[in-house]
Amino acid sequence: MTDARPSSVSQPRGKALRLHRGLARIWGSDQRFRGWLTTSNNNDIGTLFLIVATSFFVIGGILAMLIRTQLATPDSAFMAPQVYSQIFTMHGTVMMFLFAIPFFEAMSMLLLPGMLGTRDLAFPRLGAYGLWVYIFGGSAVIIAMLMGLAPDGGWFMYPPLSSAAFSPGIGADVWLLGITSIEVSAIATAIEVIVTVLRYRAAGMSLSRMPIFAWYILVVSVMILTAFPPMILGSLLLEVERALNWPFFKVENGGDPLLWQHLFWLFGHPEVYIIFLPAAGVIATILPVMARTNLLGYGWVVAAAVSLAVLSFGLWVHHMFTTGIPHIGLAFFSAASTLVAVPTSVMIFSWIGTLWKGRARMELPMLWIMGFFATFVIGGLTGVMLAVVPFNWQVHDTHFVVAHLHYVLIGGYVFPMVAAIYYFMPLLTGRTRFFKLGEVAFWLVVPSFHITFLSIHMAGLLGQRRRTWTYDADQGWTALNLVASVASFVMAIGFALIILDVAVNAFVAVRGRRNPWGAGTLEWAAAIPSPAYGFASIPIVQGRYPLHDDPDLALHIARGEGYLGDASRNRRETLIVSTARGEPSQVVVLPGNSVLPFLLALVTSTSFLAPLFDAYIVAGLALVGVVALALVWAWGLGARADEGHVDAGHGAKLPLASESPDPPGWWGSVFLLLADGVHFGSLLFGYAFLWTVAPNWPPHSYLQAQLWAVILALTGALALTAGPRLAVRAIATGGAVWPTIALGIVGALALAIAAASVILDRPDPASHAYDATLWLLAGHVGLHTFLSSIMLFYLAARGAAGYASPARIGEAGIVRLWADFTVATGLVALAAAWLPGAFA
Amino acid sequence: MIEILRLSLPITVWLTGFSAVYALQGLSCSRHWPADLEARPVLLAAWAVAFVLQLIALIAVLYAPSPVRFVQTTATALAATALVAAVWTMMPVLAASACL
Repeated sequence: MTDARPSSVSQPRGKALRLHRGLARIWGSDQRFRGWLTTSNNNDIGTLFLIVATSFFVIGGILAMLIRTQLATPDSAFMAPQVYSQIFTMHGTVMMFLFAIPFFEAMSMLLLPGMLGTRDLAFPRLGAYGLWVYIFGGSAVIIAMLMGLAPDGGWFMYPPLSSAAFSPGIGADVWLLGITSIEVSAIATAIEVIVTVLRYRAAGMSLSRMPIFAWYILVVSVMILTAFPPMILGSLLLEVERALNWPFFKVENGGDPLLWQHLFWLFGHPEVYIIFLPAAGVIATILPVMARTNLLGYGWVVAAAVSLAVLSFGLWVHHMFTTGIPHIGLAFFSAASTLVAVPTSVMIFSWIGTLWKGRARMELPMLWIMGFFATFVIGGLTGVMLAVVPFNWQVHDTHFVVAHLHYVLIGGYVFPMVAAIYYFMPLLTGRTRFFKLGEVAFWLVVPSFHITFLSIHMAGLLGQRRRTWTYDADQGWTALNLVASVASFVMAIGFALIILDVAVNAFVAVRGRRNPWGAGTLEWAAAIPSPAYGFASIPIVQGRYPLHDDPDLALHIARGEGYLGDASRNRRETLIVSTARGEPSQVVVLPGNSVLPFLLALVTSTSFLAPLFDAYIVAGLALVGVVALALVWAWGLGARADEGHVDAGHGAKLPLASESPDPPGWWGSVFLLLADGVHFGSLLFGYAFLWTVAPNWPPHSYLQAQLWAVILALTGALALTAGPRLAVRAIATGGAVWPTIALGIVGALALAIAAASVILDRPDPASHAYDATLWLLAGHVGLHTFLSSIMLFYLAARGAAGYASPARIGEAGIVRLWADFTVATGLVALAAAWLPGAFA
Repeated sequence: MIEILRLSLPITVWLTGFSAVYALQGLSCSRHWPADLEARPVLLAAWAVAFVLQLIALIAVLYAPSPVRFVQTTATALAATALVAAVWTMMPVLAASACL
């Protein structure tokens, strides 16, 4: 960094205006209708995400009202049991998968660039792709419900209930494929967010100066990459079992339904924290502003968030306390479950301390945070009760658990998100709230919430089972259920008022001023509502609260006095900084608007959904389309000539990201491979689990490795490791690239043939879970050798077309990364396939 | 990337150790476990190894400090948390019955 602070010398107002016009032209979306399909701007994508997620919230809420109507009176004939099963399954599914996660992703997309002082997210087109996959997958699930084809096995779909024998029809398949596609969307967004937080920040924004919300979202995004893959694998296994009869969960063929529970809760428990932590980030952001002070114990809160995230991965078995797990296993997970109360308490006490040292004002966002405190603490304490094994046994599968999870999820997530909507409304809409329906809504929602779910707690303690469609009048639950149902309708009216209040204020309230709350973080330094380019120049910060350090910062930014305050290069440029210290290190050129993300999402979703209708050929063609469009997408990036260092302002000459050894794509690949590695690790876990505890093992025989296949695998691995490395060297020195690429492809082919030998030796994957698992291991190797080969061909073609040079070496580094992953996991997969036979 | 690893590695070591001890307990109750081998001493040894690894992680954070003070403080807090977690969450190997 060459200058610590923007120049205080006044610039002509005309310069700011010219800069605004130039940047608006470069960064703006197509204003016609097609602009909605081609936009990749974070404001547009985030807004669409927010509207769609809210729509799903309304659908989930209507389903909740149907449930409460059914349970309001004993022996109710409002719904048939089959319909009730579909309704409660869809309520949980919609709220968990279609509302909660996408809603905070929307908030992240809208807020993070502003908070971090950058112009957009790291991979704008990936964000657009994630949005459209989410819309297609979510819509398919809802349409299936409207057609009476909804799943009915509960939102966690336990086999054998969800198996083809007990859940015939396509309801369960809709769930498995639809939800998997939505998880793909979440992973895409998580990668985008991680790279943005780590590299796309204001100059001088070190890790210790990052807004606390960014820390939370960074932690949550890494959790998504590590928690979702086990669920994706579980969905894949169950779908393959349902469609092709590969017996992963069928006891008679070596499977075990408990494997599903492990895979599901390896995802499902961290999921609770994936939902809670963004809300905690919102609270840690809003509360200090409302208390007119700074967050107490910033570093401790960061440490608490990280430790809570990791600890949450050691809790999954506490959802399985009644499955006959040995005492020591129960004790492990009971101990871990009680431990998470510690970092959670660190956060809670940090917030209480912040209130203590400040002077709180009871604005509407603060009211919702107060609602959060009252509710979440109760939900947390009932969580500690549930962590105690004997109590857990007593209330397992009762309405006590239902009430607990709603206390945590509504109190711990929805209330803070409502606070966030009201707090950030001036930023997102440019308007100041005028109509005061929000206060009325608050006093409707919070008391009625407590009446509803305290009653449900009591009903659960009295023994009412969840997921039963009715109850008898003499069971003693009638009054509690009636009270809960009446209060739940009041709560629904309150939420409807909130949506109405936000919509009306967003469109017709008066224009507001910048930073009405007096916040210190950067998002309030942008024009309101935020223009497509975010900041006219990249801010330079010296503290955690830049607007408090320099009240005129917004003016300096608008005048182009930060970095990249110049639109003359006529392209979408923003700054990349070093991860820890926030020093400017690269200039990245972001891609423009394109219909490619929409098209790629369309074919991706088709590949997921076509199997529902047995249209396997269509699914296959769609997969070809995915590969083709992905290549077209990638081909359009990069440059055919070296540009050298460019002027970033303040005398800094920085390399372009495309001429750096670690471009954003490299970082994105690292994190995508993290998710891929967890997916592979989950497969190995499943294999080990079945081998260790599943009944009907060992199989009738183990696979015997062929010597030629082992030799082929080892030589293939060697060639696939060497090829890309030599390619990088050849590009760097101007040598011949094709021979090195050929070496890599031959290596991939050899590894693939070795994997194919596994399949050829065990031709019937439906005979035993062992055979089915071998096919999946071989399939993993086959898929990754295919991907590596495509990448190597692509790299050769890029080199031939002039897209690679000694400076532009980043793409080759990415290919090397993927090849190394293929080799490492390929050898482990083949060893896992061959070793039991060698020692049997 | 080094700073990110410094922050995340010690507590990831806890997760690995915890999962490994749980897996070992599962194995000790399975048909693959030698009939004449007592499970508890092995589980205790595994707990001790997990504890020592956690201690090494904490010492490594302290003796190879980050040049960024915030990272160093947070990494130390996280490594200490991981050490406490290793003691607390694996303590059941002391007394609880392994396979009942």
